[in-house]
Amino acid sequence: MSGVPHPSQALSAKALGARLPPLLVAAERVANTVFQGVHGRRRVGQGDSFWQFRPFVAGDAPGAIDWRQSARADRLFVRQTEWEAAQTVCVWRDGSASMQWHSKSMAISKRERSELLLLALSSLLLRGGERVRLICPGTTAVSGGRGVEALAGQLMSVPDDIALPPDVALPRHAVAVLIGDMLSPLEEIALAVERLASRRIRGQILQVLDPAEIGLPYSGRVRFEGVGEARHLLVPRVEGVRDAYAERLQAQQDGIAAICAAAGWGFATHRTDHPPETALLGLYTALAVKLR
Amino acid sequence: MSGLFGNLSFGSPWVLFALAGLPVLWWLLRVTPPAPRREVFPAIGLLFGLNARSETAARTPLWLLALRMLAAALVIVALARPVFNAGGELAGSGPLLLVIDDGWAAAPAWTARMAAAQSALDRAEHSGRSVSMLSTAPPEDGSAPVRTGVMPVADLRTRLAALHPKPWGTDRAAATAALQGVPAGPVVYVGDGLGDDAAFAKALAGVGAVEELRDVVPPVLLPPPESASDRLVVKVLTLPVRVERVLPVLAQSGDGRTLARIDVEVPADADRGTGALIVPAEIRNQLARLVVQGVGSAGSVALLDERWRRRPVGLLAGESVSADIPLTGPLYYLSRALQPFVELREGDLSALLSRELSVLILADHVVTDGPERAQLEAWVQKGGTLIRFAGPATAEHPDTLLPVKLLGGDRQLGGAMSWTQPPGLAAFDTTSPFAGLVVPDEIRITRQVLADPESLRPTVQNGAAADLVWARLADGTPLVTAAPRGAGRIVLFHVTANADWSDLPLSGLFVEMLRRLVAQALGVASNDAGADATPLAPVETLDGFGTAGTPPSAAVAIAANAGRVAASPRHPPGVYGPETNRHVLNLGDGATVLTAAPFIAGASEGALAANVKPKPVAAVLMAIGLALLALDLLISLPLRGLGRGIGRNAAAVALMVAFVGPVHAATNPPEETNPALVTRLAYLVTGDSHVDEVSLAGLVGLSDYVNRRTNAALAAPAGVQPGQDDLSFYPLLYWPVTADAATLSGAAIQALNDYMSHGGIILIDTRDGGTGEGMVEGSRKALARIGGGLNVPALTPLTSAHVLARSFYLLQEFPGRYTGDTVWVQSFEDRNNDSVSPVVVGAHDWAAAWAVDAQGRNPYATLPGGARQRVLAYRFGVNLVMYSLTGNYKGDQVHVPALLERLGQ
Repeated sequence: MSGVPHPSQALSAKALGARLPPLLVAAERVANTVFQGVHGRRRVGQGDSFWQFRPFVAGDAPGAIDWRQSARADRLFVRQTEWEAAQTVCVWRDGSASMQWHSKSMAISKRERSELLLLALSSLLLRGGERVRLICPGTTAVSGGRGVEALAGQLMSVPDDIALPPDVALPRHAVAVLIGDMLSPLEEIALAVERLASRRIRGQILQVLDPAEIGLPYSGRVRFEGVGEARHLLVPRVEGVRDAYAERLQAQQDGIAAICAAAGWGFATHRTDHPPETALLGLYTALAVKLR
Repeated sequence: MSGLFGNLSFGSPWVLFALAGLPVLWWLLRVTPPAPRREVFPAIGLLFGLNARSETAARTPLWLLALRMLAAALVIVALARPVFNAGGELAGSGPLLLVIDDGWAAAPAWTARMAAAQSALDRAEHSGRSVSMLSTAPPEDGSAPVRTGVMPVADLRTRLAALHPKPWGTDRAAATAALQGVPAGPVVYVGDGLGDDAAFAKALAGVGAVEELRDVVPPVLLPPPESASDRLVVKVLTLPVRVERVLPVLAQSGDGRTLARIDVEVPADADRGTGALIVPAEIRNQLARLVVQGVGSAGSVALLDERWRRRPVGLLAGESVSADIPLTGPLYYLSRALQPFVELREGDLSALLSRELSVLILADHVVTDGPERAQLEAWVQKGGTLIRFAGPATAEHPDTLLPVKLLGGDRQLGGAMSWTQPPGLAAFDTTSPFAGLVVPDEIRITRQVLADPESLRPTVQNGAAADLVWARLADGTPLVTAAPRGAGRIVLFHVTANADWSDLPLSGLFVEMLRRLVAQALGVASNDAGADATPLAPVETLDGFGTAGTPPSAAVAIAANAGRVAASPRHPPGVYGPETNRHVLNLGDGATVLTAAPFIAGASEGALAANVKPKPVAAVLMAIGLALLALDLLISLPLRGLGRGIGRNAAAVALMVAFVGPVHAATNPPEETNPALVTRLAYLVTGDSHVDEVSLAGLVGLSDYVNRRTNAALAAPAGVQPGQDDLSFYPLLYWPVTADAATLSGAAIQALNDYMSHGGIILIDTRDGGTGEGMVEGSRKALARIGGGLNVPALTPLTSAHVLARSFYLLQEFPGRYTGDTVWVQSFEDRNNDSVSPVVVGAHDWAAAWAVDAQGRNPYATLPGGARQRVLAYRFGVNLVMYSLTGNYKGDQVHVPALLERLGQ
């Protein structure tokens, strides 16, 4: 971001900005459904949320006495809050051109779904008191109730043309969440994961795929063209290659799963025709284990 | 195959060479797989290296290839403009000469003639010739037929389309003259087969090879009929054919009604047929034309004017002052007897005889010797019928213009000084013209003149004994005598023409006798001798098809005394002259024979019917080819992976149609058939379809009126049959009684009694009361007959004090279609039934007053009439419905004045 932004860039940012409020609302809505089912640390500790009143015992700091509660009874009470160990969760969503594609039967692109999941997850995490940071140079971790909006604003500045997270200095022992179609070669994925894992960052990968990319629902003679790339391929009879394609896709997913397993990461897949809540719940529960 | 394709020719045969390119197309289609569909796919990286299998499926299937080849071949053939039945090539070279007979004889098959001419033009266009045309009848402006110049086919088509048959004949001589200087070339002659004209045939043959086309049905000419005493002799002229023909001839009135019809048979190989049209005189007087049915040409119509229609009868009394005095005047009975079927004229003798006259009746008029007698004598000799009635003057001074010699004075029969009773008439002899007429007994002859017995001896005339006496008294005395004079006849009634001497003029027999006499008289001569040279303007002329219309501008008047005028452009057949002096000019005036024209020597002969129209099939082939291509597109879409969307769209359309259908169906909910769910009126089905229709229409009208005016909601009324249908759902039954009503069965009577005892009301309508008395004879008796088993309570006249007169409207009278009769209701108040009368009996034909037809009009007029009566009828109906729905609820209204008065105190 140097000097005066290019007009077209400003325009696209504006367009994205216009998209944000509904995206945020959707993210909040999705997050709410999950948040009701999952709670925080459930331990006494440093935090803002009230956890319990405990009878005063010798050794407690007098300042910890909750005088208002103690006045109702003969004994003294200490107010304890739930433990909130803030941790940084680093999130990334693939913003490349292939993510903006959706098949004809689908209304939303993989990118839209990825951003929705990312923001909803962030909302959940921020409510849980965690800090969330976008894996992108020049960004800082956000926290608090308004953090989601800040995060959404940061999403606009993420370069769109890279499929995997760049090498950014991240805090150690953080948790990373990578969302994308993960169609890049396995070597590149392995490199990115190893780069993060080397900083003792644990993580989770969510592969978001369009149903067309899973079922290959074409038939006849089709000339396939890549998104944003010059490659194309003429398939005389798509029906004939459907099974082989399914095998390839399975191999790719198996490869990613192996990479994740080696790094101690989790791996899950999501189809854009499935409801986002399930994917979010899966992500959140997986993270909850890692954050504990 | 040759039969199928022998008639096939091509407009652009060179296009067919393109068929040679089909194998190349085959090869190209074979090696070129269908164009791929483009799909953007992010996971393309996973697809690389997978295309090893089954590239062969991309080849176009063989059957699809064949389909495409067929479509291409069809399109190519269609572009070559193939034509079926193009006809033979035109002979020779040079421009085509199209000769068309467009006289009256060409009208019957005019469409076929035009088609044949068009076909000839098609052939000329096909072979690139230019055309000239000659129509052989003179055009409307009266000029001679002229040949058009040689012009392209397209230009001539408009001229051909403007051609229509003329109501006169062809002019072959002028046509022959018009053939001078025709460029040599083929000739197509659409002829009518009339008029042997060798010069014309030779001139045609001189132009080139002639192809002559004729209709197989020869033309028909209907000359005006000949008028005989009681019939019109119809003669139809035609050309001989080998089969027997029957030509129906219709006798039509001026407004186009067909009054009579005869079938004129034309035997095989005969050129004419004859038939006799026998119609009563009054019908005959209405005839305006005879038409040969199904021919449709000016020649098949014979217009009639007074010459055929009327037998003018002159009336002349001895004393003109008292002649027309009602009941006593001598001409009073005569004019009333003859008026309906003849044209009567009155005036002095010279005025009467100055015009054509068929019958002259002299009532006690003594013919004086001298010019009067000579005039009459001459007229009778020429064919007039002179009918004379005796009388005091004639008895005093018998003249000599009588069939018999009279004795002086008259004979008094009966009376104070006579011991004889006045005799009646004897039955007529079989030889008498009055034979067959029935003689009423009550006719009495009190006075008569007597014939000299000497003069009654049968005279031998024309070798046969002519009976002079046509009617006798019961004692044998002659009453009507007659004698022929020249072509005419003198008839004498020996009594007066009024009722002074006899009852005869008072009886119907008098009318019959006069009609026989008039019918026997000759029609008047065909030409009015007294006519002058008054120009008679054309009023209505026939066109070539025999349809009457306004005269063309070139038509001019004919002189009244011009004699026979031939139909021509200046004088087209039709009606000429003012209303009082109509003359008709017929195409067949004076025609005696039709001359057949032989086929032109050396010409190829053809019939119109065989000349089939060339059918260009290019459009059909092109359509099939394009349809196949469209089919190919549909088939190849799935091959290219595009089919699913189309399938979905088709499914959507089908779904929409499936939805729209039920939506439309849902807008008309089925008629509720369960009678318990809605309130409706009902009528008893009588079995008389007309009465039932009136009942239904009446209750429909009443229900509609009630629904509009009140809060009651009545559904469509129903017809019920007591004993079969459950009556308990209907508050009111309308029962029209017919005179021939069938006796009710026991079950029906039981049902009606149950109905009445449980609160139902029956309106019994005998439909013959008050102003409509006698409209339905016997319905009251029928009611007494069939209503015996009904538990009808004692009845009392319905007054304005009854609840029925107050239940909705305040009524003073209760009219229906009729009014003035008494309407009856139960006399005492039956507490069990809430004082509601179970029966209302009347005869006002209410249903007819209530009835509305499909247009919402009232089809039955009220008697004595007026909108007020209709409104009151409806109001009575509303009151009745309210009464049946609410019972005695409105009974309190009767007591309202008393209640108000009590409250006031």
